[in-house]
This record gives sequence, structure tokens and C-alpha cells, in this order.
Amino acid sequence: MPETRTLDGAEALRTLKDVEAFLFDEAALLDARAFDAWLELFAEDAVYWIPSGADQIDPEREVSIVYERRAQLAERVWRLDSGLAYAQEPQSRTSHLVSNVRVSGVDDDGLLRVDAAFVVSEFRRDRLATHAGRYRYVLRPREGGFSIVLKKVELIDNDGHLGNLSLVL
Amino acid sequence: MTSTTATPLISDDWRIAGRAYRDQELFEAEMRTIFARSWVFVAHESEIPDGGDYKTARIGRQPVIVTRSADDGEVNVLFNRCRHRGSAVCQREYGNANHFRCAYHGWTYAADGTLVGVPFDDGYGDRLDKSQMGLVPVPRVERRRGFVFACLDPDAPPLEEYLGHAARYLDFIADLPGGIELSAHAHKLQYEGNWKLQVENTIDPYHFSFTHKSWLDILKDRGTPSAWVKNLSTNPEWRTVDLGNGHSAHEYGPLERFEGGNDDGVANFSSAELLPFNFIIFPTLSFVGAHLRLVQPISATRTRVFLFPLMPKGLDPERRTEILRSHEAFYGPAGAGSTDDIEVGFERVMAGLSATATSEDWVLMSRGLDRETVDEATGIRYGRSSDEVCQRGFYRTWRAHVEGGEGA
Repeated sequence: MPETRTLDGAEALRTLKDVEAFLFDEAALLDARAFDAWLELFAEDAVYWIPSGADQIDPEREVSIVYERRAQLAERVWRLDSGLAYAQEPQSRTSHLVSNVRVSGVDDDGLLRVDAAFVVSEFRRDRLATHAGRYRYVLRPREGGFSIVLKKVELIDNDGHLGNLSLVL
Repeated sequence: MTSTTATPLISDDWRIAGRAYRDQELFEAEMRTIFARSWVFVAHESEIPDGGDYKTARIGRQPVIVTRSADDGEVNVLFNRCRHRGSAVCQREYGNANHFRCAYHGWTYAADGTLVGVPFDDGYGDRLDKSQMGLVPVPRVERRRGFVFACLDPDAPPLEEYLGHAARYLDFIADLPGGIELSAHAHKLQYEGNWKLQVENTIDPYHFSFTHKSWLDILKDRGTPSAWVKNLSTNPEWRTVDLGNGHSAHEYGPLERFEGGNDDGVANFSSAELLPFNFIIFPTLSFVGAHLRLVQPISATRTRVFLFPLMPKGLDPERRTEILRSHEAFYGPAGAGSTDDIEVGFERVMAGLSATATSEDWVLMSRGLDRETVDEATGIRYGRSSDEVCQRGFYRTWRAHVEGGEGA
């Protein structure tokens, strides 16, 4: 495990601003259903993870809602735009609200540890639903911003009975 | 609406009345008949491996606790209701406890339900016989190969008789390499629709290439195309099997070929599929791919579903992880399969069935009626892969319950 250090002073402020801008751009892409552009935010070695039942599980031994590497995430994005994903017909209209952003540290190799609160309001089939929880990211700095190495979505109701969760959180 | 109650629930030519899926009075009758008499799955022993382990479950809408006694390892199924003033004594899905203490007035019960403590019990004088005041056990509990079933009817036939021809399929699952455990926890789904829609859908290969075309396209793109459509229409070994008593299966080849640990032929979608059949045990337990599926009726128009990945203890960790990833991609709450089934197979069906004023307020369940065959020796019915043999098997038993009335 690489060492993790916390950021201070001007570096902390500047990094937080950059990270917030990146997360808000990501949210805007999802709300615009620009899934291909969203996929481009993910690194080749990325994992998109929504744990099931509890936030802290072992994905090798316990079932997740989603545990996808880049290739499977690309299939998910393809499906959403295929015209064959009936679970998204009609489509979900969403508003991704991202707040309480914290940069908890940076590794020796430059990876940022980030967490943020989220509320996703979803309107579909005359029903308004709310999905809420915490995002945990590992971000890798790259030219002009970051790439996502890990996006973990900790839903507050991940041990509850969930409906059609075909939207992207 | 009572305008259609004069029409039969199921016609001779296998039309099923629309009210079977939306009528709350009929749902209540299902609770009083089907769920009051049938053997209902409540736990797999691997969920409560140690003394003191417990889980909460439901038989129909009845809340129960399934516990394992610490002293003799016996499995108990108890109504989750304090004998004093009715409070539920157990709040968690899973846990381990020496006793269940009601938080209202402190009445305390052992894992086998025995009442072991009543604060200030002198207040009852001689009126309280603690030996008669334990958590009430569900009348019947039986286990088969690790699967725990409970039944509210003290006069029900034994589990083995109830399972009949279905026992062989259950044993096949229990015999997966090293035996199975439900150790990976569960996916939990819910939808706005009748519980029987999920059961029908579980043994319905006919819908797959339409509802799930996007998934077949993904498999093709991976370079691992499924021969699903071809097999469905032309492979005589893919068949629907009505096992009797409401139980049924869709086989991807004769079961005997796979028994004894030979899984060479099990390749429907990927190596993570364990079962060479889809299989339902009336009324709410089923098995698909690599998971146990348990349907929980809430009301006529609301249903919850549990999906437990089946983890064969004898498989290496990588294969077990592969089973999880494959299961999530299709069956999870964000998977390609379950979400499309919820939309198309359940919620759009409920939307359509709200057209109650049509002169044709029924659904058609007659596919393959003229080409199904019956084995005279066993009574087992067989049909083609896309035929509704399994659904008709389910509804024959369903009708016998709800039309037979409470005294039947």
C-alpha cells in the first residue's frame, strides 16, 4: 500500500476546487445522459462499484449491486443507448446533486482519495424517486483534470428492497 | 370491481382472468389458502450455521424467526410476536443471540421459543404458566438437504410427499460441488405488480430473446454468442416439465446427463451458470442460473423478491467470484435482466391489465397445449421449450387452492 498524506494550505484548497469541478462535470454528463463521454472519465483499470447489503463488503466473496471493470461498464453504456434497454423506456430523468466534497489524502503515486455526499432525484413513469448516499472515489490526475480509478457508490438503502435501478448513479 | 367475478378464474382453453393479478380480495384468499397450507421455504441451513444464529423470514405475510438452538442445533421456526402484548421481539434480518428479549416489558425467550423470563411475574399470581407462554412455533418444520421449509397447516402432508418429483431437482442443487451455502448474501428487489408474474417469468424461456435481446447482443459482441434462439425453437432436449403439485422446470437437456457431477453440458450463457434447469417449487421458491429466488407477496399489486447466489463450497475462489460477477450483471437490481423483466414482464403487464373494461379481460396461457405429452407412469407433463407447460402446472395447483376455498 502506498503511503497516503493529507493536503494542507493552498495545495488543499486548489485540489479541492479542481476535484469539485471534476465531480460537478461528471454529474452534468450523467444528467445529460452523455454516457459515452461519462465512460471516457474512467481509467482503463477502473472499477465502478455499488455494494449490496452493506458499504463494507468483500466483493470477491459477497454479492454487489454492481461491480464492473471498464469493459463491463462499456457494455452497460452501450445497452443504455441501444434502444433495447426497456428498463430505460421511458428514460429516467435525473438530477445528480454532489456536495460535502472532501479530499482525504493523496498517495505517493499521486492518486487522490475523495468522498462526497450525493442525492440523485429520478423521475420515471410518473414516479419521483430519491437515491442518496456517499460516493468514494480514487482519482488519478491527468492533463486537464482527472481519470476515475474507482467510483464506489454507498447507497443508504443498499440493504433495502430496490426497484428498477437501471439509471446510472 | 366485482363485474367479472362471475367468469371463471381459468377457462377450459387456458385463459386466466385478469383479476387473478390485481384483485386484492383474491390475494387475501391466496393468503388464507395457498400460504396457509403449502410448504414455504424459510431458510437454508448455511444462513444459520451456528448455535444461536437466527434470521427473520415470512410465510406469506406471517413474520417468523428461524433460529438454531445452541444446545442441540435444532432449527426452530417461531412467530415473531411477544405473547404478552404482541410486540415483534426480533428486529434484525440476521444475527446471533442467546435469547430474544421484548423491549416493551422485558419478556425473554430462548432460541427455541421457551419463555424464560417475565419481570415482576408475581403480578400474575397463579395465572401465568410460563411453559405454555413461549413464542408460538409454526406448526410444521421440515428440512431437506439443508433447505428449511415451514408450513402453517398442522395437517399438511409431509414435505417429501409435497415435493414429489421436484425433490430430485432440489437434490441436484444440494449436490453441487462440495454442497452449497448462501454465504454471499442476497439481492433484494421490489416491483409494483402481482407476485405470480415473477413466478411465471422464472420458467418462461419464450420471453428471453425478446425482452432480453440486448443481453444476447452483448454476448455476441463478447465473442460468446448464445445459441438460445436456435435451441428454443429446434432443440428437443430443451423442454418444459410439469412435475405436479405446482412444481415445474425448464430443462436445458435431460437431468440425468448432469447428475453425478458432470457439468460438461451446462453452458447456457457462461461458465458461471450452475444449473441445467430453471426450477420452481410451488408457490414461491425457485432456482435460476446460479441463484435461489424467493418471492414474497406484499399485496395484489406489490411484490418483493430475494435473490441469493448459490455458492458451491467445492469451487475455487475465482470461480465463486465469477459466479457473483455474472449474477450481478444480469440478475441484480441494476442488472440487464431483472430491470427489463420488472419493466416489461411486471409493470407493463399491470398497466395493461388495468384495461378492465375490455370484453377480453384475460391472459392467454395455452401455448403448446395441443403438443404437450404426459408420462402415464409418473403423470409428468412435457412440452417444448417455449410452451407454457410450467405455468399451467403452477395454475392448476393455484386454482385448486383458491377455488377449493378455505375448508378444502
